[in-house]
Amino acid sequence: MGPGQLPFLLMSANIRQSQPPPNRWGLPDLGLGVGLRTLHFRHITEKWPAMDWFEIVSENFIDTEGRPLYFLDQIAERYPIVMHGVSLSVGSTDPVDFGFLDKLKALSKRVRAKWLGDHICWTGVAGLNGHDLYPVPYTEEGLRHMISRVRIIQDYLEQPLVLENPSTYLTFAASSMPEEEFIARLAVEADCALLLDVNNVYVTCRNHDLDPVAYLDAIPYEHVVQIHLAGHTDNGTHCIDTHDGRVIDQVWQLYARVHDRAGGRATLLEWDANIPKFSVLQQEVRKAARFRNGTRRVAA
Amino acid sequence: MSADLRTLERWMQAVIMHPEGAVAGIGSAPARKLVAAAARDPQSVVLPSKQLSSVERLEIYAYMYYARLIEILEEEYPTTRQLLGPHEFAVICRKFIARNPSRSRVLNRLSEKFPDFLARTLPKSHKSELAVDVARIERAMEDVFDAPKAEPMSAAQFAAIGADQWERVRLTVNPALRMLKLLFPANDYMQAVRAGRKPRIPRPRPTFVIVFRRGFQVLRRDQEAEQFRLLEALAAGRVLAAAVRAAIRGHSRSADRLAAMLGGWFREWAAAGIFVSTAD
Repeated sequence: MGPGQLPFLLMSANIRQSQPPPNRWGLPDLGLGVGLRTLHFRHITEKWPAMDWFEIVSENFIDTEGRPLYFLDQIAERYPIVMHGVSLSVGSTDPVDFGFLDKLKALSKRVRAKWLGDHICWTGVAGLNGHDLYPVPYTEEGLRHMISRVRIIQDYLEQPLVLENPSTYLTFAASSMPEEEFIARLAVEADCALLLDVNNVYVTCRNHDLDPVAYLDAIPYEHVVQIHLAGHTDNGTHCIDTHDGRVIDQVWQLYARVHDRAGGRATLLEWDANIPKFSVLQQEVRKAARFRNGTRRVAA
Repeated sequence: MSADLRTLERWMQAVIMHPEGAVAGIGSAPARKLVAAAARDPQSVVLPSKQLSSVERLEIYAYMYYARLIEILEEEYPTTRQLLGPHEFAVICRKFIARNPSRSRVLNRLSEKFPDFLARTLPKSHKSELAVDVARIERAMEDVFDAPKAEPMSAAQFAAIGADQWERVRLTVNPALRMLKLLFPANDYMQAVRAGRKPRIPRPRPTFVIVFRRGFQVLRRDQEAEQFRLLEALAAGRVLAAAVRAAIRGHSRSADRLAAMLGGWFREWAAAGIFVSTAD
């Protein structure tokens, strides 16, 4: 581990002293991390910059034996890695793809992933993949289906699945419960872990005219093991989860509220388009430390 | 009565994957077969928000589906795009995606069939044929980038193949190697574009290109016709001596010149890490 990492580790140590009870699996608060992106491979492996941990998009390292895996192996030697996928399609009505689970399991073992997860969504049916995160109708049928799938996947992977609330842009007329209730019941009844994306809460609530505070208050925090922060694009009529800029103040306010409820949880900044220099990511994610340490509060 | 989960997912997929957008998708035969009521009243399936109608909300997903995948093709085929022009490239990508939706959980297979699709669908012209050649090279570069890693044979390992072994030894080529027979000097064209020049469409001339990975660097190299044929025979598992005899058959060069030519080829391949092992 490079000497440059010391400040980040010290920040995490301070946070841990004031932690409320941990999540129900006792999974660690990894501190502050960023998504590992190709653009930064060389910088990271040459400078070993200060960062508590990295999150990878699992699919970017599956079915390849080229350069990405070469860099990932080196980075996994020095930093904790979390695997976050985009095509597990937990909500799909297609059969569970056990071959894909085998690949996830193998990668998890290779990089000694702290945990692995995906999204509360479906990505395709009838054998197709849209490579996007589609919402499920929030119905009893949808909930039963997803609970059953999560249990099967967790049993097979032999670890809790960490599922993220996606940004959503439509509501099915068939939905019979709010998204946050669906997520809370899924987490409790399937006994899975949650990745609470605070930016997605903001985006979804803007798109559906919902109250983000009420949304956050419905989350079972003992299931939350990780938090995401990101920027988005506000088109006026709706917001899109573009991950292309800094976190806006309203999202930081929601993060402060989550931190008050959950305490120290591994926190990650996503930045996937118009990706800046690594130092900008460091600077942006460091803002979270101020909320976590209680040195900065914003009006709720 | 509302549709079940399976039906709703299939309906939404049919709508957002329609190449002409969500409105056409809702009215399409597959979508109407799944949820007939949606064609008359989209709100019966997707609620509007205060700002957007039901259809506008579906259009967000429909737009993102094509935009995301076209962006990936743009990244994988930069020279093909430059040659065809950004607009025409986007149009043909949309057609390709509509007819070849992804069936993989990873994106690196999305465009496996793209060069063949271009060959089938572009109007016949030198520019189109060159675009197909360039696309074949760019696809090969993607394949090679992700191909399994293998340790190349060292010079010492080559030297250790005695003349007495030539009649039975076979060389195994690196899995990160692709061999392309092209109609145009497409590699030269790509090189010029990548160097920032604006080359003219060249005249057709058969060329032979290998795409390979050395370390983690993806490289391309033109080969002479005979050189390519020899490598092709070796890659097909032909015994070394037989492959060499076939390659030099009919040559009028002196034995010394043939030996020098073959030596040059093998030195080039060895330096490029083209062979990884031998087998009897």
